[in-house]
Amino acid sequence: MLGKLLKYEIPAMGRKLLPLYAAWAATALLLGLTTQSAESKTEYMVVISALLYTAIATAIFVMTIVLIVQRYNNSLLGDEAYFNHVLPVSVSAHIGNKAISALLWIFVTMLVAVLTAILIAIGAIIVSGAHIDLIEMFRELMAIDIDWPEHFWLYFFEILILTIASAVKTIMQIYAAVTIGHQVPNHVGLMGIGAYILIMIFENTVATMVLIPLMMKMEYAEDGFMDLNSVFVPGIIMTVLFSTLYFFICKYLMEKRLNLN
Amino acid sequence: MARIEINHLTKQFGNLTALDSVSLKLEKGQIVGLLGPNGSGKTTLIKILNGLLQPTAGSVTINRLEPGIETKKVVAYLPDRNALPDYMTSSQLMDIYQDFFTDFDRQKAEAMVDDLGIDRKQTMKKMSKGTKEKLQLCLVMARQAEVYLLDEPIGGVDPATRDYILKTIISNYNESAIVIISTHLIADVESVLDDVVFLKEGRVILHKAADEIREEKGESVDKLFREVFKC
Repeated sequence: MLGKLLKYEIPAMGRKLLPLYAAWAATALLLGLTTQSAESKTEYMVVISALLYTAIATAIFVMTIVLIVQRYNNSLLGDEAYFNHVLPVSVSAHIGNKAISALLWIFVTMLVAVLTAILIAIGAIIVSGAHIDLIEMFRELMAIDIDWPEHFWLYFFEILILTIASAVKTIMQIYAAVTIGHQVPNHVGLMGIGAYILIMIFENTVATMVLIPLMMKMEYAEDGFMDLNSVFVPGIIMTVLFSTLYFFICKYLMEKRLNLN
Repeated sequence: MARIEINHLTKQFGNLTALDSVSLKLEKGQIVGLLGPNGSGKTTLIKILNGLLQPTAGSVTINRLEPGIETKKVVAYLPDRNALPDYMTSSQLMDIYQDFFTDFDRQKAEAMVDDLGIDRKQTMKKMSKGTKEKLQLCLVMARQAEVYLLDEPIGGVDPATRDYILKTIISNYNESAIVIISTHLIADVESVLDDVVFLKEGRVILHKAADEIREEKGESVDKLFREVFKC
């Protein structure tokens, strides 16, 4: 059933974000194409396109967060909940569906951000008239023999996992706050914000109590790098535990305390 | 075995008691009218049967099961509001029903949508309030469910559509299903009702067969309703 839910949830977010991505890409290209004007009389062109690019980028980041909250709130606690909660689907699948879709769109947004940076570069290259063989450039980059420090790849993957786990935790944190907020029907917004603040205080207190002593014990390895492993691994474990806790808060409240009014 | 059993069901919202120790046993093979004025607890009862509200005390079972995934497979629910995603077209909504409900009859839904002149390519957002209600009803009634819970199914539609809806409800009715219609428009639904439940201030004040009421009291259900709930 999770697959069926995702089939409808992913496009539901995409239909709002995709047009913004297109606008973002267009302004990125425009910014690249106008970079030459920075040194000419049409200097204002680059300022305008830079402002446009920043405005759309900000709008997309805000929109992504708003959509994550809105899709969860409307679908599972608002009017659409009258339809979604009568589908023969478990509460876990509903929450998982929202979280997976939100995570996916966060990463797509990050990916599009990188792509817009490339588009700016491409625009600038086109305007400069310089002949740059991108394939050759890539080959040369790959040919560089880098002497990676010891544990570099281990740390790289640990950071990657920590980033994904942190994104999931942030999503679940928001969901838990929204669900707690709905326990007081007349003050949903206020309670939601209050719950979010309390969750943050709780989480930061626990994280400080666990991670600070570990950081104090950190030692430098022989290659001069700090032994980050002793912080990354507990960090990942804690992030996963927090996410799990928030998931079960949502699940419990939706299964046992759901009161759609 | 009663298809729906409600035992001493109480629901409170703060100091307000919406349902007060309601007990009912409803058998399959009938159309039940859940009748009462606004605020009598009709919608609350239907929501609890769907698992959308949690009881303060007491219990409800459908086919001896508490509301959950298994009961949702056999219950078709028409809420008292538009609950469908408004950016979707009729056709896309039929896709969702087809994906999630194995008892959904796509052909029947398409026939009903066409009968009522609903554009399959139009999004819900662009539909009038009445058309939205009609579409929701088509989707619900196109299921071969065991229990139909219809909350104010004729409240916002014109008289011609009301006739069509009632005709649809009767044609869907079968010996293995139970249809519960919550409404205060008694005169319109009276002709299709087998069983009648009067709710007043969260309490069941009458539960009888519609024919019995007419024979014993010598008056229509609508007339009795007006007497009982006279302001």
